[in-house]
Amino acid sequence: MRALYALAMLGSFAFLGTNAFLGREFFGDHKRLELPPSVRQTPGGYRTFLHNHGFRGGK
Amino acid sequence: MTTQAKCPTCGAPLTFRPGTMVVVCGYCQSISARTDRDPRLIGKVAALVDTGSPLRTGQEGSYAGRAFTLVGRTQMRHPLGGFWNEWYLALSDGRWGWLAEAQGRFYLTFAHAVNVPIPTPESLRAGSTVNLGDQGLWSVAEVSEGAFASAEGEIPWMVDLGASYRFADLSGPNGAFATLDYSEDPPLFFTGREIPFEDLKLKASTSGPPPVPKVRAQNLPCPQCGAPLPLRAPDETQHVVCAACNSLLDASEGRLAFLKSLQQPNARMFIPLGAQGQLGGVPLTCIGYLLRSCTIEGERYPWGEYLMMDNRHGFRWLVESDGHWSVAEAVPLGEIRRVGRNIAYKGKAYKPFQHSDAVVDGVYGEFYWKVEQGERVRVAEFVNAPVSLAEEVQRQPGGGEEVNWSKSTYLEGTEVWKAFQLKGTPPPADGIAPHQPNPHWKTARQLGLWMVAAFALLVVVLGYEVVTHREKLLFQQEFNLAERIAAAPPATGAPPEILFVSKPIHVEDGTKNFALTLSAPVNNNWIGVEGALVNEATGASEVFQVTSSYYAGSDEDGPWTEGNRKETVYLSSVPPGDYVMRLAAVWDGPVPPAPTFNVELRMGIVRWTYGFLAALVLAVFPVLGWLRALSFEGRRWQESMYTTTGLPSGDDD
Repeated sequence: MRALYALAMLGSFAFLGTNAFLGREFFGDHKRLELPPSVRQTPGGYRTFLHNHGFRGGK
Repeated sequence: MTTQAKCPTCGAPLTFRPGTMVVVCGYCQSISARTDRDPRLIGKVAALVDTGSPLRTGQEGSYAGRAFTLVGRTQMRHPLGGFWNEWYLALSDGRWGWLAEAQGRFYLTFAHAVNVPIPTPESLRAGSTVNLGDQGLWSVAEVSEGAFASAEGEIPWMVDLGASYRFADLSGPNGAFATLDYSEDPPLFFTGREIPFEDLKLKASTSGPPPVPKVRAQNLPCPQCGAPLPLRAPDETQHVVCAACNSLLDASEGRLAFLKSLQQPNARMFIPLGAQGQLGGVPLTCIGYLLRSCTIEGERYPWGEYLMMDNRHGFRWLVESDGHWSVAEAVPLGEIRRVGRNIAYKGKAYKPFQHSDAVVDGVYGEFYWKVEQGERVRVAEFVNAPVSLAEEVQRQPGGGEEVNWSKSTYLEGTEVWKAFQLKGTPPPADGIAPHQPNPHWKTARQLGLWMVAAFALLVVVLGYEVVTHREKLLFQQEFNLAERIAAAPPATGAPPEILFVSKPIHVEDGTKNFALTLSAPVNNNWIGVEGALVNEATGASEVFQVTSSYYAGSDEDGPWTEGNRKETVYLSSVPPGDYVMRLAAVWDGPVPPAPTFNVELRMGIVRWTYGFLAALVLAVFPVLGWLRALSFEGRRWQESMYTTTGLPSGDDD
C-alpha cells in the first residue's frame, strides 16, 4: 500500500506540477495540432481541417 | 549485644545476636529459644526441603549501601502446596530484614509500625484495597496461611513448631510489597519491594556449601508404571504427570507418590516437554503444559499454556490459542489500578475484553503447585495490543483467596518456532486475538504522515500558483453573426460557414494556461465555436471547441433549466510568439440562435480543480489505510464481551 501511495503521490504532483509550472491542461475539448501552411493560408479549408468531425451540441 | 550459649541437646555453640528469638542448632537441628539464662529447648525441626535456593545462611551481602548477613531462615508450606523461604538478614546497623523467596523471586521487607488498627484477615478480600494510615493504600494480593515446616540459623520471632500463621500479602505501586503477619498480636506489618537477586550483592558463602546450579534434572521411575519420569525442576515441582500412564503424582516430599490416574483430553503440544529455547534473551525450558478452557454461551474455547522455567527457577508461560501466541509473566497487583471500567498499568489504559471461569482440562509435565484437572479460577482479561492483562482469582483450601495478575505480550508463531527451533512452520492463526497487534495501524499512521507532508507540499504548489498566476485578459471581442450572415452570399444546401479571425495576440509566457470563455444570449438553443489559437508563423495550434447552450421549461416537477450561456474551455500553454484566434461559429438550422456571441481569452488561470483532484488522490490511500485498520479493530471487538468504551456488549447505557 505504501508503494502504491508513493506512486499515487508521484502521479498527483506530476499532474499538479505540469499544470502549475508548465501550463498544461488535461481536461476539456482541446488538442494540440501543427497546421500546415496550406491550411493556415486558406481560411476556407482551415475549418474543415480542424473540425470536420461535426459538432456536439444541443439538447 | 551478641550472646553465646550452648545447644541444650548437643552442647554445640549457639549465637544469639540482638533480636534473635530462637536458634536452630546446626548440628542436631534442635531449636532453642532465648531466655534470661540458658536457652530453652523447643524441639527439633524437620530437614529443610531443597528448594534450589541460591542463598545460604552466613552469606554476606549489601543492599542499598547497608551490609547484612543472612543469619537464618524458616521454610513455610503454602496451602496450595510448595514451600517458600523466609530469610533473615541481620543488618550492620542492628536492624533485621525479611527476605521472602518464592519461585525465583525475592521480596525484601522491613518491619514498620502502623498507626491505624490492622484489619483482621477475615475482613480482607483478594483484590480489595486496604488503608493502612501512614503506610498508605495497598492492594490485597493474597489472604492465606503458611505452615511452619523447617528452619535454620537465627530467627527473630518465636517459632511454634507445627503452627500455621495467617498472613496477607499486599502490593503497592512501583513494585512495593508488604505483608500483614498475623502470627503475633497485634499483627506485624512488613513493607519493602521485590528486588532482583543481583541487588543483594551477595559474597560467596563461608558457612555452607556453594549454591548449587539451579536446574538439576532428575530421572525418577513412575511409581505406577515404572517408566522413567524426568523432573526438570525437582526443587519446585509439586505435581507431575507421567507421560506413559497419565498418573498424577505428588513430588512435594522429595519422592513420587501416586495420586490418581487422569483421563487426559486430546492435546496438540507444539513445544515438547523438555524443549529448551531462548526468548527475549532468557533461556527457558518447557516443563509443563496445561490445556485450559472456558465456556461462554455454551461454547467451549480451549487454549494451551506451556510452563517455562528460566535459569533462576523463575516461571513464565507461553500461551497458544487458535494459533496466536503470547508470553506471559506475573505482574505485581500494586502496579494495577482500576480507572473506571479500565485498568491502568505503567501509564497505559487497558480495556476490558472478556471474563469467564477458566478450567484446567489437561495436565502434562510438572508444576510448581498442586495442579488438578478441574482447577477453576475466575479470569478477567483487559487489552491494549500487543499486551493483555489477566486477573485470575483463585480460592484456596482453608478459605484463603489469591489474586494474580499476568501480562501477556503477543508473539508471532514464527518467533516461538525460532526460539525453540521447532520443525516445520507454526499453524496459521485463526481469527484475531484480543491483544493481537493491529498490523494496519503502522501503515495507516505512516500514510497519514505522508499525507500531511503531501498536503503541505500541495499548499506550497498552490501558493506558488496563486502568486505567479496573475490572470491576464489577452483578448475579448463580441462577434456579430447577423451582420456576417447578411453580408454572406446566399447559401445553397449546407449552412453558411462563418469564420472570424482575431487581431494578433502576443503571448510572452510559454508556461501559463489559457481560459477561453464563450457567451451567447441563446434561449432553448445552442451555439458553438470551433476555434484555434494559431501561431501563424509555425503552425502550432491549440484547437478547441466550446458551446453556449441554454434550455428552460417546466414539467410536472416545476420549472427547470439546463446548460449555461457562458462556458469556458481551458487551453494548454503555447510557446511564446504571436498568435491569432480563428473562430468558426456553428449552430443547428439555417438561422443562428443568437445574433452575437462573445469570446474572451485570459491567461494564467489558477486551476483549483487540479489541486482538489490531487488532494483527493492524496487522501484516498490514507483513508483506506485507516478504514482497514478500523475494520481490524471492529473484528477484534466483535469477539469481546464489551464494547470499545468498556460497556458490556448490548448495553447502550
